[in-house]
Amino acid sequence: MNKFVCWSLVCVALFGCSDGKEVTVTGFDPLNMTSADQVNWTPEKAQLRKQALTPYPALGLDALPTDLQWTTHSGAPYLGSPEATKGGTFYTNTTVYPLTLRTVGPDSNNSFRGYLLANQWSLTTLHPNTEQPMPQIATEWAVSDDQTTLFFKLNPEVTWSDGIPVTADDFVYTLEFMRSPAILAPWYNNYFTEQILEVKKYDDHTIAVVGHVPKPEIDLHTSLSIAPKPRHFHVLDEGWVQNTNWAIEPNTGPYQIDQKSIVDGKGDYLSFTRKTDWWGANDPKHQGRFNVDRIRVKVMRDPNLAFRAFLKGDLDTYPLVLPSFWHEKATGEEFDLGYIEKLVVYNDTQQPSTGMWMNQAFAPLGERPVRLGIQHALNYQKMIETVLRNDYERLPQHYTGYGDYSNTAIEPRPFDLDQAVAYFNEAGFKERGPDGIFMRDGQRLAFNVTYSQAVHTPRLVVLKEEAKKAGLELNLQLLDGQNAFKNVIEKNHQLAWMGWSTGFRPAYWEHYHSANADQPQTNNITNMKNPQLDSKIEAYRAATSAETRIALSHEIQTMLHEEAVFAPAYMVPYFRGAHWRWIRLPETPGSKDGGGIYDPFSASSGGLFWIDTERQQETREARSDKRAFDPVLTIDERFKR
Amino acid sequence: MMRLDPITAERLRRFRGISRGWWSAVILVALILLSLVAELFVNSRALVVHYEGEYYFPTYGAVIPGDTFGEAYQYETNYKLLAKRFAAENSDNWVVMPLIPFDPFEINVYDGEFAPHPPSIERGHYLGTDVAGRDVAARLIYGFRIAIWFSLALLVSTYVIGIVLGCLMGYRGGWFDLVIQRLIEIWSNVPFLYIIMIVASIVTPDFGMLVFLMVLFGWMGMTWYMRTATYKEVSRDYVMAAKALGASDWRIITQHILPNTISVIVTFIPFAVAGGITALTALDYLGFGLPPPTPSWGELLKQGTDRLDAPWVVTSVVSGLVLILVMVTFVGEAIREAFDPRRLTRYE
Repeated sequence: MNKFVCWSLVCVALFGCSDGKEVTVTGFDPLNMTSADQVNWTPEKAQLRKQALTPYPALGLDALPTDLQWTTHSGAPYLGSPEATKGGTFYTNTTVYPLTLRTVGPDSNNSFRGYLLANQWSLTTLHPNTEQPMPQIATEWAVSDDQTTLFFKLNPEVTWSDGIPVTADDFVYTLEFMRSPAILAPWYNNYFTEQILEVKKYDDHTIAVVGHVPKPEIDLHTSLSIAPKPRHFHVLDEGWVQNTNWAIEPNTGPYQIDQKSIVDGKGDYLSFTRKTDWWGANDPKHQGRFNVDRIRVKVMRDPNLAFRAFLKGDLDTYPLVLPSFWHEKATGEEFDLGYIEKLVVYNDTQQPSTGMWMNQAFAPLGERPVRLGIQHALNYQKMIETVLRNDYERLPQHYTGYGDYSNTAIEPRPFDLDQAVAYFNEAGFKERGPDGIFMRDGQRLAFNVTYSQAVHTPRLVVLKEEAKKAGLELNLQLLDGQNAFKNVIEKNHQLAWMGWSTGFRPAYWEHYHSANADQPQTNNITNMKNPQLDSKIEAYRAATSAETRIALSHEIQTMLHEEAVFAPAYMVPYFRGAHWRWIRLPETPGSKDGGGIYDPFSASSGGLFWIDTERQQETREARSDKRAFDPVLTIDERFKR
Repeated sequence: MMRLDPITAERLRRFRGISRGWWSAVILVALILLSLVAELFVNSRALVVHYEGEYYFPTYGAVIPGDTFGEAYQYETNYKLLAKRFAAENSDNWVVMPLIPFDPFEINVYDGEFAPHPPSIERGHYLGTDVAGRDVAARLIYGFRIAIWFSLALLVSTYVIGIVLGCLMGYRGGWFDLVIQRLIEIWSNVPFLYIIMIVASIVTPDFGMLVFLMVLFGWMGMTWYMRTATYKEVSRDYVMAAKALGASDWRIITQHILPNTISVIVTFIPFAVAGGITALTALDYLGFGLPPPTPSWGELLKQGTDRLDAPWVVTSVVSGLVLILVMVTFVGEAIREAFDPRRLTRYE
């Protein structure tokens, strides 16, 4: 009832002054907006809503600490090529159609989210080659004396895609948004409570983000450089999760999802369009970047079919990291006649920790000799030489490629039957049963290996057959992704074949601190409980100087190697793929962090390629009369370690 | 000595007369029986080893470690290398290997080449190797053994349930029939493939569990046919006569009704076998079947379709499937013809 009266009043008010420059939107009440209004968002709605909101109180610039040292971009070269031209449509693919266009909340953690998040820019980013902070929405920043807080000056030119300027309010609101129970995202609720204490507004373009623990400057940027949320767009009512499934959230990046493609795509594709009036377009940082006008992301479930589509020219690029694709499939006319060019770009970045994870809570795996025996019984070398065609390299340890934080003195343990058997004997597994597997008091030396990717089966079969020689039986247990992960995260596994993705810095507490052992839903999947290790990990977390952290990091890694709970397998220190010859890349196609090569968006290293429409025309003509160009294979070893 | 009654004998005679079906049946039965002793034909273990005056028969039984034959390792002897060594030493020792000297799990590595290896008579890979370097012929044969025995186990289980329940429904009729009918209707609407997928994604099913699951959701079909056939027979005079003579229900069902419904039972056998094989192949193809590295046709088919550039994988398995299913269909056709009740009946 109340609402109705209010609404009528607004109607009268709006109609009353419609002769002036006031904007009106029928059926939209900015004062009593609900999350249902977020669908079909328009600049008019945005303007009305913005006017209706009361700004958050500001502390005033006087409240800033006086001794702040403001810094900005370090001067490292920008990545974009001066030769790049704008225009064209880029065709790429993804495996599943997203269940929602939200980036938080239920079902939002899908592969498509990467495209959306890439266009929600943060305060700063790290330069992919120097790992030094670069300005994004912030132009300058400063660190507090106690190393817990970052102060930022915002670029006043930054606007949301609906035309509303980005202000300090949107950053203050980020915390309110991410902590809200309405978004049904416990991980974000927790992260924005545990990691970030508060966001202070000094004026419309000056803020401070306060963290909980002191850290070195770079680490502060990785945890405190948040992305704003459009305060004028969101209404966190009960229906938010349902109502915003297909709402297009205003963003700050160079592209926005195309509303029409949601309807026209019919679940087959979604498109992004480059903003014509993007605030960052004239910034020298972005010259030669974000070149294509449109990006169409097609849904292709089967990688083989997607590759066929690529060969037809329906996709512009295709990653070819898998050996079978690179060696067998990426051959033939299109490659020999130079229509499609191949590319290998080495990187020097944090490597995912792929390998065998041993759960110490499962009886014999709690014994170190058994674990050491397993380490020497896994023939990774043969796996790499046969199934992986020598394309991959042996991974030395969990934390490889973390720069100074990695202890490069650690060598991976080789496949060695004598050592494996000696360790098993030491553990009491002395007699071999009739099938050649070691026995101890009637207990066989046999373990289940939980894994989730069918394409890894040939790799694991090699390990299984070779381990038999050492009297060790591995029973392969292929589960679907969700269940395999559940099995592991609830510590019901024996051996788990998997890899953790990487972070910017090693995460010891999550993986190896006893606080996370013996309980479900934590990353300590080896159930590591070592008081000595605990104290080192705590010291690492408390340290504020980079030197201390690095020294502790090396010690922790040595201890982990001694514990032998993780048998590291392989790493792939390069990206490789192929693209049609109209896709042009800068002289340095990649970056040290390995990202960005065929990535149209990534704020730190993406959007570098461009489409040469003349070459596109030329290639198509050449193709129809089988005219040949020189085949191209580019190998870039600039960042090879 | 078992004596066949004249009608069954006549049916068999007619079955033998349809040569396509008869020979298919002979070959199939031979293949099924031979598959039981596949280890003698397809194996990485030797058939016989003669070493220092003693004979060894490694095919069945415990692993014989390499040091038994003077090799420098304690794990299972590599008999192919042993044979080469003995030949090179030119001694009295010798090894007899099976026809296809590979087991279905063995990974074969050849210098400078990457799996899948193309067919090669010289190496003994008559059908080449799969993507992990395992012999396709070996995996095909052991895969056949698993598929056909899976199918037979499925057949027997569904038939036992189907026949018993179907007969009872037809014979008892009334509320029993009504209740079971409704139960079957409800049960038939459970999307069985989804159930298997769900179960397979939570636990890795083994042979027994997969048979159990398939039976659990696959027993209903036979019940309908048996129910109808029994209903038809129960209303005939000879059943009334038997009842009047005081025959027990058990006797009437087993001695009078079952023999007269035998054509229904027998006719469906080949199709049930074919169904069982394709079901397992389909589940394995989708990755919801037996756990790797179990040799399986579905898994080979998956590899083959993923790797059309290695055509020997897909051609081998598709030929195998087509051959077996065609033979099964021939048998089915012949049985249907031979047991056709319009040609031969016994209503006594």
